[in-house]
Amino acid sequence: MINYFAASDVHISLAAEEIFKLGPISITNSVILGVIGSLMAVALLFYVANKLKNSKRNFLVGLVQWTFEGFLKQAEEVIGDKATARRIFPLAITMFFVILVTYWLSVLPGVGSISVDGTPLLRALPADLNFTFALAIITLITTQVYAVRKHGAFGNIGRYFKNPFKDPVSAFEGLLEFVGEFSRTIALSFRLFGNAFAGEVLLILIAMLAGYFSTVVLPFFMIFELFIGFIQAYVFFVLTIIFTALALITHGDHDKEHSPAVKPMSVGQE
Amino acid sequence: MDNIITNFASSAASSSEKKDILASLGIDWTLLGLQAVAFLILVWILGKFVYPVFMKIIDERQAKLDESVEAADRARQAAEESEAKVANEMKKARAEARDIVATAKSEAGQLVEKAEKDARTKADHIIEDARAEIDKSILAAQKSLEKDTLALVKKAAGYATANIADDKFDAALIEKSLKEAK
Repeated sequence: MINYFAASDVHISLAAEEIFKLGPISITNSVILGVIGSLMAVALLFYVANKLKNSKRNFLVGLVQWTFEGFLKQAEEVIGDKATARRIFPLAITMFFVILVTYWLSVLPGVGSISVDGTPLLRALPADLNFTFALAIITLITTQVYAVRKHGAFGNIGRYFKNPFKDPVSAFEGLLEFVGEFSRTIALSFRLFGNAFAGEVLLILIAMLAGYFSTVVLPFFMIFELFIGFIQAYVFFVLTIIFTALALITHGDHDKEHSPAVKPMSVGQE
Repeated sequence: MDNIITNFASSAASSSEKKDILASLGIDWTLLGLQAVAFLILVWILGKFVYPVFMKIIDERQAKLDESVEAADRARQAAEESEAKVANEMKKARAEARDIVATAKSEAGQLVEKAEKDARTKADHIIEDARAEIDKSILAAQKSLEKDTLALVKKAAGYATANIADDKFDAALIEKSLKEAK
């Protein structure tokens, strides 16, 4: 099967490929589409904000506002403390919109198929591990910053490293929590990357396998990819919020509340 | 595992220069750092110029909603208070009405009783007056009758005795007749 694809002209690369260099910086195909997508996301949000400022509403404005409001409410419910939720929210919602728009751009015809010297010119930004890993690292650092602000530097370290002679179970749990911080980061980045990369490959393969019928078959897969794009953007948003909420709860809270998503916590009311 | 990933990786990634797993996956730390910084700048720009507009609108709407809910609560409370007040007033009014009706009934009973008593007294008086009047009339009639009878007897005796009796005799006869009449 792999030999068949290898024999055909399918170009599948796990890594984003360099198109040109800008000084020492390598500009890859994912960066090109990423810049376009990010600019589109920014333009969309500025457009909606401007319309809202002038009290001019339409379907798009309503949809974006509804999404924003719904997600804000969800963030406030998960984190519990409204002020903290509103501080972390810009980061999480920007992740959502940027991932959504850049993911959806991967469905556009030409992405993966237009190539320069055998290298695809455009590639979805979430299908580049650099981007997803960058987002995951930002999430990790942000949650740690909030955890330090909440528990103090030593308090935060104390969440992970406990005296094994005093409380061996908690000490082991702390170690697992420490490892979990890194595994979460890796899982967060690979989940998005895997879905986006697989989606892109899927579209290319379907186009190849279906031949002329691809005009009939591909739209279904494109719609599916749009759906997956939304789900992935939403998952990234929710996980960022949940990781922050987890970092903010104290050990006592953690014993009572194992999932911050199940029951809102009173982080700021302690 | 490393082998499988390398197989799927691009030819560039699987070249001898990039043998480590991160390179195979396309991790370029410089690019990653730049993307992270670019993204944070994006977050800052949006957080500075776009999201406050959304937040403001949400807060304003929430404030309006809170205000409406508060107003509705106040109205409900006022309505409940008014209802309680009306019920209280109605209760008072009913009690007062009951008192008034009871007083009226009692006063009416007393009035009727008094009227009956007065009427009875008046009737008794009237009856007594009537009786006295009747007695007087009877007495007067008796006197008148007595006078008339005397006159008649005198007249009759005059006719009967004609020229036999004189005035002395007449008088004696009259007296006798009267005694008999009595």
